[in-house]
Amino acid sequence: MTSADPIFEVKDVTLRFGGVTSLNNVSLIQERGEILSVIGPNGAGKTSLFNCLTGVYLPQEGSITFHPSQTKEIKIVGRAPHRVAQAGVARTFQTSRMFNALTTFENVKIGVEAHQKTGPIGAMLKLPRTRHEEKFSDQRSHELLEYVDLTHRTNTLADSLPYGDRRRLEIARALGTDPKVLLLDEPAAGTNPSEKLALAELISRINTELGISILLIEHDMKLVMSLAQRLIVLNFGGVIAEGTPQEIQESPLVIEAYLGASDEATQ
Amino acid sequence: MSTESTVPKKRYWSLNGDDVRRICTAIVGGLVLAIMTGPEGAISDPTYGVKTSLLTRHVVGYFIFGVVLGCLLTYRAKVKDGTWRRVRTTRRRTLSELVTAFSSTWRYVLLAVTTFLVALIALIFADFSGPVTRNKMSMHVLEHQFLYTRTYGYLVLAVALWLVVVNQAMQLTSFRLRSLPRPVLGLGAVLAILLFSLTSDPFLPARFSWRALDPHASNSLFHHWTTYLWLILGLAVTITWLLRRDPITGAKPARRSRALVVTPEMRFLTYVAAGFIVFEAPKYLSLYWQISLYQQIGVFCLLAIGLNIVVGFAGLLDLGYVAFYALGAYVTAYFSGALPLQPPFHLNPFFIIPFAIIIAMLSGVLLGLPTLRLRGDYLAIVTLGFGEIVYVLANDWTQVTYGSAGTGAITNFNVHLLGINYVWNPVNPLSYYYLMIGILIPAIFLFDFLNHSKVGRTWAAIREDEVAAQSLGINALKYKVMAFAMGASTAGVAGVFTAVKVGHLFPNTFVLQLSITILVLVIFGGMGSIVGVLFGAIVLQWLPSYLNFHSYFGYQQADLYLYIGALLVVMMIFRPQGLVPSRRRRREIRDSEEGLGSADALGAITQDQPS
Repeated sequence: MTSADPIFEVKDVTLRFGGVTSLNNVSLIQERGEILSVIGPNGAGKTSLFNCLTGVYLPQEGSITFHPSQTKEIKIVGRAPHRVAQAGVARTFQTSRMFNALTTFENVKIGVEAHQKTGPIGAMLKLPRTRHEEKFSDQRSHELLEYVDLTHRTNTLADSLPYGDRRRLEIARALGTDPKVLLLDEPAAGTNPSEKLALAELISRINTELGISILLIEHDMKLVMSLAQRLIVLNFGGVIAEGTPQEIQESPLVIEAYLGASDEATQ
Repeated sequence: MSTESTVPKKRYWSLNGDDVRRICTAIVGGLVLAIMTGPEGAISDPTYGVKTSLLTRHVVGYFIFGVVLGCLLTYRAKVKDGTWRRVRTTRRRTLSELVTAFSSTWRYVLLAVTTFLVALIALIFADFSGPVTRNKMSMHVLEHQFLYTRTYGYLVLAVALWLVVVNQAMQLTSFRLRSLPRPVLGLGAVLAILLFSLTSDPFLPARFSWRALDPHASNSLFHHWTTYLWLILGLAVTITWLLRRDPITGAKPARRSRALVVTPEMRFLTYVAAGFIVFEAPKYLSLYWQISLYQQIGVFCLLAIGLNIVVGFAGLLDLGYVAFYALGAYVTAYFSGALPLQPPFHLNPFFIIPFAIIIAMLSGVLLGLPTLRLRGDYLAIVTLGFGEIVYVLANDWTQVTYGSAGTGAITNFNVHLLGINYVWNPVNPLSYYYLMIGILIPAIFLFDFLNHSKVGRTWAAIREDEVAAQSLGINALKYKVMAFAMGASTAGVAGVFTAVKVGHLFPNTFVLQLSITILVLVIFGGMGSIVGVLFGAIVLQWLPSYLNFHSYFGYQQADLYLYIGALLVVMMIFRPQGLVPSRRRRREIRDSEEGLGSADALGAITQDQPS
C-alpha cells in the first residue's frame, strides 16, 4: 500500500475508550486530489477516524501523516485540533455546528479570518494591515457564499437556515480556511433529494475546480457511488474492504456487513 | 473563484478621501476646543484672546486632545456586526442642491434668518458659559461677547450644527406626524424624571431650582434656557429620526436595517449631544456629584467595560475581577513609596499606568493559562479563589502592604514638563474627572473596534461553539487568555485612578462583593454591549448615591445589595439580555427562548465533546 503522492497516510491506528476499541489497526492512504469515501454501518468508527485525523482524539497506537504538499509532512497524532486545521485540514460535523447567533456571512468570515495575522492591537487601532485583511476577508467571504450558492442568505442568522443550506454553509466556512483536504462527515444527512443533487455537484466542483482532496463519510450509497473514486469500508473499527465503487458493490464481505444493518447495500 | 487571494495590492499608508476628511475634521475640532478654553480678550483688541489662546502652552494640550478625540469620533467603521455595507444605499442630497430647490427669495430669507438666529444662540450660549459673575443676557454683555475667545469656538460649533439641522430638515420633505412610537414616549419620560429628580436634589447649588428663566440669578445648567434648546434639539432630532421616511419614495425604512440608516448627520448630532453632556454638564454639578462622577461612576465605567471583554465578549465568568483592580492600586502605592516595601525608584502616577497595565496583564495571563482550559463553573471557582488570595495577601501580609491599617499617602497625578507644572488636587474632582474621560473615551472606542473586528468575531465563535471554532484553526485558549489579560489590564488602570484619588488604600475595598457589583453592572446593562454596560454602570452607581442621601422609602445603605439582588431577579425574568443588549446577545436569548441554541446565563455553551 504505497503511493507516489499521498495526502493522508494512516498507519495501524488503534483507538480505545476504556475497554471499547473504536478503531482497530486502521490503515489507509488518500491520494492527493482524490475523493475518498469511508463507509460502514453505524458504530463502525467512521467519525472516530475523522476525529483522529483532525486531532480531536488521540489514538493510542499508530501514526497519521498529513502531506500539505509533496515535500512537507506533518504528524497529526499529538497535535492540537486548531494546529491541525492551520496545517490545511478542514472538516464539517455530523450534526452541523454553526455559530448560531451569527449571520451566514459572519460564519464564513470567521473561517476566512482564522488564519489571518491581525492581533488585538491591530484590531483596536485599525492598523493598515488589519484593514487590508478585513477587506480581503469580506471579499473572500462573498466569493465563497457565491460559490456555494448562499448569496441570498448573506444576512440570515445561521440557525434559521434550512438544513440543506446549513450543510453548504458549513462547507463554505471550511473552505474559508483554504484547506488542502476537506473532511465531510455525512454532508447529505437530513437533506431532500434535490438538495442532495446540488450537494453532490458542489462536492465534485470543489474537488475538480479547487483541487481540494475530499474525504467523505456518507450513508447515502447513491451519492457515494456517484462521487467517490475509491471507497474504504469500516466495520467494528477495522477496514474490511477497499477499492473502486464497482469492486465494493460486489464484495461479499461488504454485503455481509451491511445485511441486516440497512437495506441500502442491496440497492 | 480562485484559491489564490485576488485582492489587488494596495499601499498601506495611502490616504483616501475619507481619511483626509477625517483628519481635517479632527484638526478643526482641536482648534475649536483650543479656542474655547483660551483666555479672555481685551476691549482694545477683540482678537487678543484667540491669538494668546493659540500661542499659550496649555492650549497645545487641548489641541492634541481635540485632534485625538476628533479622529476617534469621526472614524466610521465600515463593517458593523458583520453586515457589509458595500455601497451607500440611498444617495444623500447635498445642502446646496436642496437650497437651490427653493425659489431665490425664500433661499435668501431662510439663510439670513437662520444665520442670525444661530449666531445669536451661539453668542448667548458663550455668554452663559463665561464667567459666572457676569450680568447675563444684558445687551451690554452681548456687545462685548467677542472679547471671549470661547465665543469663536461656539460660533464655529453652532454653524456646523446649523448646517446639520437644516440639512436634516430638508431631507424630511415627506415628513408626516404619526402617533408617537413607544421609544419616544419612553425617552421623554426618562428625561422628565431625570430633570425633576435633579432639580429636587439638595446637593445641587441652592440656585438650582425650577424657577422662571431669570437670567440674573443662576449659573446652573438648567437655568440656562440654552440648555433647553439643546434638549429640544435632541428630542426633535430623535423624533424625526424615528419617523423619518425616504426623501424620494416616502417609504418607511425597513425595521431590520434601522441600525444601518443612521445618517452621518445623526451620528454627528449624537456625538455633539454626548460631548455636551460629558464635557459641559459636570461643571454645573455640586461638589458631591462631581466626586461621585469620578469615584463612583467614572472608575466603575472603566471597570465595567473591562469586565465586559471577559464576560460579554469572550463569555468567561470571572468572579475575581477585583483582584486585578487591587493589583493596579497596590502597584501605584508601591511606586509611590507608600508601602513598607520601598521601590527602586519613585514614579509619577502617569508612568505607573503602563506598569499597572503590564503587571495586571501578566497576572491575568498567568492565572488564565492553566485555568482557561476549564469551562463555565470551574473557571468561576478558580477566579473566585484568586480574588480571595489577593485580598488576603493585601490584608495579612503587613510587611509588604501595611495590612488593614492602610497604606501611606499616594502621590497625586502631576505634570512637570517643559515648564508646565500642574498637580491634580483631590479637592478639585473635576480635574480628575476630565483625566478619567481622557482615558475612558479612547478605551470605549478601542474596545468597540475590537468587538467589531476579527478578534471580536472570534470570541463570539468560541462562545458559540468552541469545537467548531477549533476546527477552523482558532486557538481558543489563546483568545480566552487574551480576553482575560485585556480585562485585567483595564482593571489595573482603574486601580491606578482609584489609588491616586483616594490617597490611602485599605484592603477591605477589594472584597468579593465588589467583584459581584461589577459583574452586576455588566449583566444589568447588557453583556457584550459597550453602551449597555456604560449605561448599567451609570445607572446602578448613581442610584445608590442618590437614594442614600434622600433615604427615600426608608432606604438604608446596608440594604443596597438586597435591592440589587431583587433587581437582578426581576431583570432575569423579564429582560435577561440586559437593558441595552448587544445585537448578538439579543439573538442568542431569542433563539434559546424559541428552543434553538443554548444561551445560558453567560452565553458560554456547555456542549460536550463530539463522540
